Amino acid sequence: MSQTTQAPLGTDMLTLKHAEHTIIEDLSVSFPAGKVTAIVGPNGCGKSTLLNGLSRVHLPSTGRIVLDGQDIHRLPSREVAKKLALLPQETSAPDGITVKELIRFGRHPHQSFLKQWGMDDRTAIQYALQAANLEDLGERLLDTLSGGQRQRAWIAMSIAQETPLLLLDEPTSALDLGHQIEVFDLIRELAAQGKTIVMVVHDLAMAARYSDHLIAMKSGKIVAQGSPKEVIQPSILDSLYGVQCDLMEDPSTGAPILLNVRRSRPEPSETQATTAPKRQAQRDAVSA
Amino acid sequence: MFNPVQFWQRAPSQRPLVVCFGLLFIVLSGVFVLSLLYGAGSVTPSQAWQVLLGHGTDNAYFVVAELRFPRTLVGLTVGIALGLAGALMQAMARNPLAEPGLLGVSAGSSFAVAVALLLGASAATLAMGVAQIGALMGCVFVMAAARLQGQFKDPVRLVLAGAALTSLLTALTSILLMYDQRAADEIRFWVTGSVAGRSLDNLLSVTPFFLLAGALTLYIAKPLASMALGEKVALGLGHNPKTVRYIVMLIVALLAGSATAIAGPIMFVGLVVPFAARAIVGPDIRRTLWMCLPIGPLMIISADILTRLIAQPAEMPLGVLTAIVGAPVLMMIVRAKRLPTLS
Amino acid sequence: MSVSTSSVTPGSSAAPSGQWLLAWGDKTLLLDQAACKRNLLLVLALVLISIVCLGIGTLPVAPTDVILALAGQGDTMTQFVVNDLRLNRLLAGIYTGAAFSIAGCLMQTVARNRLATPGIIGIDNAAMAFAVASVVGVGISFAPSAMALTGAATATALAFIIGGGSGTRGYRFIVAGLAIGSVSAAISQLLLAQVHIDTANEAYPWTVGSLSGRPEEQIPVMGWITLVGIIISVILCRRFQLMAFSDSVITALGRTPNRLRFTAVIVAVILTGFAVALAGPVGLVALVGPEMARTFARHRGLPLLSSALCGAIVMILADLVGRTLLSPIELPVGVVTAVVGGPYLLWILIRKPKRSTL
Repeated sequence: MSQTTQAPLGTDMLTLKHAEHTIIEDLSVSFPAGKVTAIVGPNGCGKSTLLNGLSRVHLPSTGRIVLDGQDIHRLPSREVAKKLALLPQETSAPDGITVKELIRFGRHPHQSFLKQWGMDDRTAIQYALQAANLEDLGERLLDTLSGGQRQRAWIAMSIAQETPLLLLDEPTSALDLGHQIEVFDLIRELAAQGKTIVMVVHDLAMAARYSDHLIAMKSGKIVAQGSPKEVIQPSILDSLYGVQCDLMEDPSTGAPILLNVRRSRPEPSETQATTAPKRQAQRDAVSA
Repeated sequence: MFNPVQFWQRAPSQRPLVVCFGLLFIVLSGVFVLSLLYGAGSVTPSQAWQVLLGHGTDNAYFVVAELRFPRTLVGLTVGIALGLAGALMQAMARNPLAEPGLLGVSAGSSFAVAVALLLGASAATLAMGVAQIGALMGCVFVMAAARLQGQFKDPVRLVLAGAALTSLLTALTSILLMYDQRAADEIRFWVTGSVAGRSLDNLLSVTPFFLLAGALTLYIAKPLASMALGEKVALGLGHNPKTVRYIVMLIVALLAGSATAIAGPIMFVGLVVPFAARAIVGPDIRRTLWMCLPIGPLMIISADILTRLIAQPAEMPLGVLTAIVGAPVLMMIVRAKRLPTLS
Repeated sequence: MSVSTSSVTPGSSAAPSGQWLLAWGDKTLLLDQAACKRNLLLVLALVLISIVCLGIGTLPVAPTDVILALAGQGDTMTQFVVNDLRLNRLLAGIYTGAAFSIAGCLMQTVARNRLATPGIIGIDNAAMAFAVASVVGVGISFAPSAMALTGAATATALAFIIGGGSGTRGYRFIVAGLAIGSVSAAISQLLLAQVHIDTANEAYPWTVGSLSGRPEEQIPVMGWITLVGIIISVILCRRFQLMAFSDSVITALGRTPNRLRFTAVIVAVILTGFAVALAGPVGLVALVGPEMARTFARHRGLPLLSSALCGAIVMILADLVGRTLLSPIELPVGVVTAVVGGPYLLWILIRKPKRSTL
């Protein structure tokens, strides 16, 4: 396996449909190995659908999803589960489950009826607890955790799955700023250990700061991709969100910062009206 | 000139009530006559027709006048009662699935009848009033249960509560009947629901209840219609929603109880009839109630004719047929993309 | 097989807390300590209640004599009463109770709704209608169990097709089942109305669910079916547990959600079909059994085995009550469970809805 040279995950002329409605058409994209890729775009651009397609929840109408050079839907489901983990946006767990029990579910693809518990399971779970900084919370009930802790527990479950690839669907959507940073830091750490990470992120500023590779989508098509600096350009932002802005470089991280965000056109569409003030607030928060 | 196509293309709530009522009334009259003509017995339709013209054989006369006519008349009454009860209950609960049979009202009255039989009453001279009280209890119980959780908003939970109540009461009824073989024999023909073998005396004994229910319905129709606009609106118009609900519950108990007393528990009629009525004239409760008058009997009498014809020479229980017709309608209502809330 | 703690470094593969690890070569099994203790207690309770049940009747037999009789000792009269008259009925109760209860637990898990037991979504009644059809002989001469199975499968398929459009989560699925159930009940009545009144009377207790006078040769068959059902459930329990997660998590963990559901439903349908053919529609056991098990289990995993044991206990207790309460009149077990289960169902519906559906 040559994960470092060849992209471990990608799509090949992928078309995804919701009933009759085509969300994504003939999309070919690959995600660089060992890097954090963030998919951004306005509401309804198909970024979540793409992630659902990648995680096999949404079946492709035509085209392929390629995992290590093979069509993902031709591989045995459990083999895929050993290579590709997912943190879905909506997470519902069985009632009354503890953090450790949740993490143990991540070992499911590696276990079978007569191979229910081994050294590898124990070390993987121990490692996941450590990595997600949950060692003290292992026996706590999941329901009693804070939002950020709970999200880390879910990520820990994906870590225990020991996959080289990790997909995250808006991992910080319901979290406050402190918890967001907590989760993103964890994601960076995982990438530093060689995992390939693909995440859908709503917040452009966070995506720019925490990803190596940025993919900007609109109406099911890729508008731009590359490093955050390459993608975050006034013209691209205008075509994505219909906003004008000035750019600055974060002196400490080098990530681009959006300043003075405003509508491009006098007639705002719904998305623009809602995202512009939010962006402003987030920018304030980041620079503060 | 009357143009049927143009008529049907109108929105249901725009169709003139009188025309709809008139048309269905004509159909009902036809079915009424058919019910006199066709039967499982040896009297052929042509012989029966002679009787209607005034010169048939004695045997044919007996069958038509003493057996088929009372039975059809019972069907007419029961149909009206169950149709109205269903429409009223749905309007009150604002739930298209509220139906006396499904919600355990009929089971309540069966249970009460079983108790009465056990205490010595005879099925032939069923103590009228018992069935109605049982129905009222069933009605109050399931409504209270639903109200406790504000489950009027969740139509399906109400039905489940009704199903639970029904299964409980049915089980209790069968326990009572096992105590007493005589009661069991008397009630056996009755529990599946049928209009066969009912005499005009049965009908006469429940007439006062029907008249009372009819008068109350006329009184309550307008406040009930205003409740469809929301309880606050009803209050603003000077109607007390609570009083309205109690009266409606009383009417439903009177109607469903009496119908059950004569014909046994017949499911789904109270569901299908208002459903059809709404499809024809729209959701206004006053218009729906009028349409239930011909549609209810139409359903019961047609079903009754079928029960006589399908399994000749035996007869099939009426309740079975209405369940077979009614269950798909229940599914249709549930299957609809958005459960229609009656507002 | 030995209970071991380690093979390499001491404590390195020690089982997670609250679990026992059984290791045999590279094969490992985890046993939940709480579940083991609980199931052991339930087995004990089942045995005790069984012995008591075998002793109670028109001819009371002391528990010690029951044990002697079961071992083939003691006087012939007692042996006859216990082994020939009562044991079959008791076994029928245990087998069907366990089968109904596992089926209920599986269906609840599939539908993620505790009300979606086979009895409520019409599987029982449909199985009954088909079984009655084969008994009264409408030109089809299959064994009742085969017909009941067909009926159960038909009803399930219908409920899924009709209610499935909106996802199995909703109550819609349940109402579709209710409708199917009432049509099936009507068909049963219709079929029974066709036959001679005495035949109908004879069939009556069975149509409400009864353990009395069940065909002897069917009981061991039911025993095997239940045993196979239990074994399959235990083996597949790990993956069935995943059904508590959302579909995307199930997929990500390497299982196909629809295939999981399909497997669970098939097992449930087979168990229900055979149980109905033997004991009639005693579906409320499927509601009460898993619920009891879950109360004991306090959310630990999917209590399939405990459900089976609880179901068996509920069933034989209900039958005991039915036999003795109004003696000499015998109440069919289905009536007893309805009297107990009906209010229970109402209570589930009325009380404050919990945050989660299961």
